[in-house]
Amino acid sequence: MAGATIDHMVAVTILIAALLLTMGIYNQMFASAVAYEGNRKVAMKAVDIINTACICPGNPEDWGETSASLLGFGLQDPQAGGYALSPYSLMRLRTSSNDSQLVEYPPDSGLFYNNISANFGHGVLSPVGDCLNYTAAAKMLGINGTYGFRIDIVPTLDVNVSQVLGFGHLVLNVDVKGSGLPLSGATLNYHLFHVNKTDDEDPFPLIVTYSGIAPNPSGSVDIHFSNVTDDDPSYSFTVYVSLGGVTGVGYYTHNTIDSESQYIIPLIQDFDDGKIIIAHNWDGVTPAVTYNATFFVLTSDFQLHQVEIDNSTGLLGAENPYNTTEIPAYEVGLLVISYLTPEDDMGNVILPWGVGTLGVSISFGGDPTGYSFVATELRQVSINDISYQVKVSTWSLSG
Amino acid sequence: MRTVEVLFVIVILLGALIITIQFAVLPPPRQAFGTNLRELSQSTLETLDGKGILTETVFKDSTDPAWGDLQKALSASLPPNVVYNLSVYDISTSSGRVINYHLSKSISDAGFGVDSEAASLLATSPNVTFTITPEKVGEKTGENNTLYILNCNDANGWWITGYTGQSLATDLYDLLSSYFTTTVLLNTTDDLELLLENSTSLEGTIQNAVVMNPFGEAVPIPYNYTQYGPQHDEGYYLVDNGSQHEYYDTYSKYCYTLGVKTQQYNWTWVSIVGYPLYYVSNTETFTGPNDHNGYGIHGMIQVGPAGLNAFLHGLDDQEYDQWLWDDPHNRWVYGDGSIAAEIGVVQFTTQAHDKSNYYGIYPSPYQTASRALPQSIEGDYHLERWAPIFELKEKDSLDYSAAATYRHAGGATEGGALTAIGLTRIPDIRVSVLALLMYYRPAVYKSEFGASCTSRLVTLQLGQQGGT
Repeated sequence: MAGATIDHMVAVTILIAALLLTMGIYNQMFASAVAYEGNRKVAMKAVDIINTACICPGNPEDWGETSASLLGFGLQDPQAGGYALSPYSLMRLRTSSNDSQLVEYPPDSGLFYNNISANFGHGVLSPVGDCLNYTAAAKMLGINGTYGFRIDIVPTLDVNVSQVLGFGHLVLNVDVKGSGLPLSGATLNYHLFHVNKTDDEDPFPLIVTYSGIAPNPSGSVDIHFSNVTDDDPSYSFTVYVSLGGVTGVGYYTHNTIDSESQYIIPLIQDFDDGKIIIAHNWDGVTPAVTYNATFFVLTSDFQLHQVEIDNSTGLLGAENPYNTTEIPAYEVGLLVISYLTPEDDMGNVILPWGVGTLGVSISFGGDPTGYSFVATELRQVSINDISYQVKVSTWSLSG
Repeated sequence: MRTVEVLFVIVILLGALIITIQFAVLPPPRQAFGTNLRELSQSTLETLDGKGILTETVFKDSTDPAWGDLQKALSASLPPNVVYNLSVYDISTSSGRVINYHLSKSISDAGFGVDSEAASLLATSPNVTFTITPEKVGEKTGENNTLYILNCNDANGWWITGYTGQSLATDLYDLLSSYFTTTVLLNTTDDLELLLENSTSLEGTIQNAVVMNPFGEAVPIPYNYTQYGPQHDEGYYLVDNGSQHEYYDTYSKYCYTLGVKTQQYNWTWVSIVGYPLYYVSNTETFTGPNDHNGYGIHGMIQVGPAGLNAFLHGLDDQEYDQWLWDDPHNRWVYGDGSIAAEIGVVQFTTQAHDKSNYYGIYPSPYQTASRALPQSIEGDYHLERWAPIFELKEKDSLDYSAAATYRHAGGATEGGALTAIGLTRIPDIRVSVLALLMYYRPAVYKSEFGASCTSRLVTLQLGQQGGT
């Protein structure tokens, strides 16, 4: 009898041990499968979002070219189709994630502008009221409260421009890299916007452009401007690099005025008509400045075509803090504004009309920090013929 | 005995577990969470071909340096952990209608690991030729309309910033001459006078002709029609030789004559941009210090809005009797002043979109109109609005048309038309060309001549390095 009891006890113990072992393994398998399924859903959502962003123009299709309210999200260029993004729609994205990143102009006026900044004070300042924010975009995508996303749009090619000293005249080095490696053999279309003060009778600084085409056999090339000295007070330089269907943009600016505190700020007033406010920075310290604004249309072969605009010159100060002008709303290009202080300090600032013209990067959406799984998707796109990469990061908000 | 039974149970449990594990295989993490390589590949092919460079390259000889550029472009645009293989296949059809693919060229940067994804693009050779044979305007009706383009070297233009009337005339000739049996460039204002006088020495048929004025808001005037010429009564009218401004609206008489001739000879008068007939220009005759438009362009005299008003009166066979005393300015003026309006951005009509595709002429479907004409002129001058390029737009309770052809079809006499493109500068002459083609609607006969091996299939295979 005792033997049978022991036999039962041993058998039950072994059975319980075996059950616990198999249950543990099954549990692990189920947990992996559930996690896998959840992550798979996130990954599929990332594909959905990037496809909607890249190959759907949104509703209305031309929402980037107007101040109209948006009914459906999408960034495709409706005229180009395919994997081409609208240079205008991108300007209407509210990229600032919090109010402290917005620009208020005039100060204490309650009028805020979204800042898509390139550098050196160049960038796109769009009225916040006309910009699409992250929450509204998430609602249009049908994922508000369920998934978070972030769209990063960056140029494919990394084009660095730096000044080379010691020649007596202006020499700029253009260094082109793609995926971390130098890109040799590219063709460079470059433009120098040289700010000149012609004579004392003409108070408006003059923009003189020097353009040219240069080969780049080794990935890094020096471009010489023999008629510009290397200590000239103010100029900007843009270069468009092309090879085998890939195109990139680089730029460089030099001012006698501290680049962080530009005296002139171009603000977008109205997308429909291309109305731009050319504003004094209104900090109460900066002196009155004269300016000269020129709009250059960027052609498909990366040449610049100058277009006449209203109020192209003027004096801005405490009494007349801003002027307005109108640029061709449906032509991408660069609004170059040079300015001059009474002390003969000079500066220039560029508003890229269409983000591709100056190779501006854009990040739009939430912050994925802190989420356990983030799926990413990558696509190649073009923005007014400049090569960009779009990366969409997606995560589940339900944990 | 119980222990043996339990062991059986354990064996069954483990067996079930092993079988479950065998069936419940999760795909590798790369497939589940990795970048969708197929769509990355598709987007890469499409963007590389954005300006046709990929298509151009794949039809080049395999030793051509363009292949090296393509390889560099691929390496530069793909992430460092992605390897690629780009293959190009010739497509040919054998006698049994079987389609064959032959590998023509392949480039890659490394071997593939576990798995890969691919996308493809069908490229058509740039050597494939498409031809378009247009029907001649007036061929069907027997009118065989002649196109006269004003190319007067003794006139200046206005509102054509960046161009000259002569350069635009050449471009118009290139764009339109294939649609007309005869196209004649009127190289001087003397040639224009021959046209106005219905001279037989001029090539082409003057009746039912199209007259294009590429000088923008200015119109060339022959010497004989100026105040100094023998036919000044047809080009110059001074209502009162008193103290008022000598030049004001005086050349509206010339515009009136143009309107009369347009109706008489059933012309279609085309104004390519801006306010029609706002200035008259003759650089040989108008040489005085005040003979300029106020913006630095000499050799012309302003007519102002009176030019179009007078033209429309002439077109409608009305009297040249619209002189009014302008009390505030203490002068005589012709007509009711400006009728055109600035209406801002306008967009193509559906008809314009269709015809833009049909004729392969693609001006921007959105333009800015600063000299749009009101719909009311249709009733005032017995006009019918044909071939509108842009949708009507309302301003101050009036509908305005930015570009259309107004056919004179009523009143005492019929005949003649005015094509007015009331857009702002810089002129896009493709809009004028489209307007004219929309009005006359000549057919185009398209055909394709392809050679063998005109299509190639490009595949881009991508794989990720590292991981499972």
